[in-house]
Amino acid sequence: MNILNDIDTEFQERDYSKPREEKTEIKIEDLSMVFQDKNGGEPVTALKNVNLDIKEGEFISLLGPSGCGKTTLLRIIGDLLQPSNGKVTVRGESTRDIRLQKKYGIVFQNPVLYDWRTIRRNVCMPMELLGMKKAERTKRVSKMLDLVGLSEFGNHYPYELSGGMQQRVGIARALAIKPEILLMDEPFSALDEFTREKLHIDLLNIWRKTNKTIVFVTHNISEAVFLSDRVVVLSPHPGRVSAVIDINIPRPRDMESKQTPEFYDYITKIRNSFEGV
Amino acid sequence: MTDKKEKYKVNLVWIIGIFALWELIAFFLAQVAHDPMAEAKLPYPHLIIVSIANNFTELLSAAGLTFSRAVVGFALGAVIGVVLAIIMSLSKIAEKIALPYLIVSQMIPVLGLAPIIFTLAKNMNTSRIIIASYITFFPVAINMLSGLNSVESDKKELLYSYAAKKKSIYFKLMIPYSLPYLFAGLKIAAPMSITASILVDMLGSSGGIGVKLLYALYSGTKDVFWASVITSACMGIFSYFIVIFFEKICMPWRKQTS
Repeated sequence: MNILNDIDTEFQERDYSKPREEKTEIKIEDLSMVFQDKNGGEPVTALKNVNLDIKEGEFISLLGPSGCGKTTLLRIIGDLLQPSNGKVTVRGESTRDIRLQKKYGIVFQNPVLYDWRTIRRNVCMPMELLGMKKAERTKRVSKMLDLVGLSEFGNHYPYELSGGMQQRVGIARALAIKPEILLMDEPFSALDEFTREKLHIDLLNIWRKTNKTIVFVTHNISEAVFLSDRVVVLSPHPGRVSAVIDINIPRPRDMESKQTPEFYDYITKIRNSFEGV
Repeated sequence: MTDKKEKYKVNLVWIIGIFALWELIAFFLAQVAHDPMAEAKLPYPHLIIVSIANNFTELLSAAGLTFSRAVVGFALGAVIGVVLAIIMSLSKIAEKIALPYLIVSQMIPVLGLAPIIFTLAKNMNTSRIIIASYITFFPVAINMLSGLNSVESDKKELLYSYAAKKKSIYFKLMIPYSLPYLFAGLKIAAPMSITASILVDMLGSSGGIGVKLLYALYSGTKDVFWASVITSACMGIFSYFIVIFFEKICMPWRKQTS
């Protein structure tokens, strides 16, 4: 797991010894989302009166079963969806302004790579949109590929890579333009357990190196506990926040953190917090 | 690479098989059934080869004339098809206005349309080009449009999340994504544009493979007729493989399946 050692990243590295400043980055106020049925059926309430403050540099997970609106919430934060009611602000600015300033990095459930571009050019794509100079792009792409351990695969096409590697390309691409907020929508759900565990460690390393705010959507309880500073438990019908749980497992975390009693305590606690399940 | 070797073997067996079967049937017609029209119905294939060899330069120049016009018309039609598809994908209203009439346009038989265009254009080469592009643009536009319409929404959302402009969306996503669809259309259109060009030849052109066909048919030179038919067929097949060649160059990311 030493892929990060030689990298001179331009990001501000996290220092675990100092307490983090508790500045609110994303403020979610009284958010509701109702989907109208196109065929004239009953409207579906995906989210109801959600209030949540996400702190700067925090790793926060949105956890819940299918239909709890966790992806909907993430998409509203990322300005991919407009809420029916309430609002989301990022340091006082609207989500639209943040998107137009290209400050979001989104990692989707599928890698969403462009088949006709090599890995390098896939990672390069957001930088092209930003209008970066070619020399600068080439330099950053190499750095990003180092960060996710794929330097040797730059000139391959996506179909030549495994699912786990493709997902790491997606992460590299999201980080390429130094976004302030990383939104991840069940990024590892399609991967096998071994690959997933490796990517968990990689992601925590990247997070430590880059000091981003990460909003992570998952339906996997142990994944949420292992990665997060806080876990937001959402319940379905209608989607709402049923609990917010601080995870105080010391960092840096590694595979052994998963074998501590407190890790299991958190899992039990979260499991019990699901309403009516 | 054994796959490739096997493919050659399969093709070789087919070619030899068809050739042998043809010889056999021709022999049957001429010698066993004593059909007086045997030579016209199905001449010996080796005689056709001899005839092609004897008339090689003539056939080649005639084919070249027809082919070059077809290529110009094909290229023009392809460009028109792509532009139409992009316009229709940009605007739903444009699609609603244009699509039904594009379909209607293809219901007019080229056989009927060709003389009209010839009268209007008053020039054989121009008519060839117009008819070939008229045949080409439709399958290209329809295939390209279905490609543009089938871009996955998450691929679009990625660009949306970076606030990409329309131009970037088309050049970075929509058009490259649609290339396989475009080539599917081009593969259909290429042999059709050759056929159209031959058809125009037959309307009273001074040169071209269609003229060769017609003269040979009227003058009763059966071997030249069949040589022209085979040449025409080869032109169609050749045009198809030219498209495949460009497809491989333009889309190196596609797994080499066939």
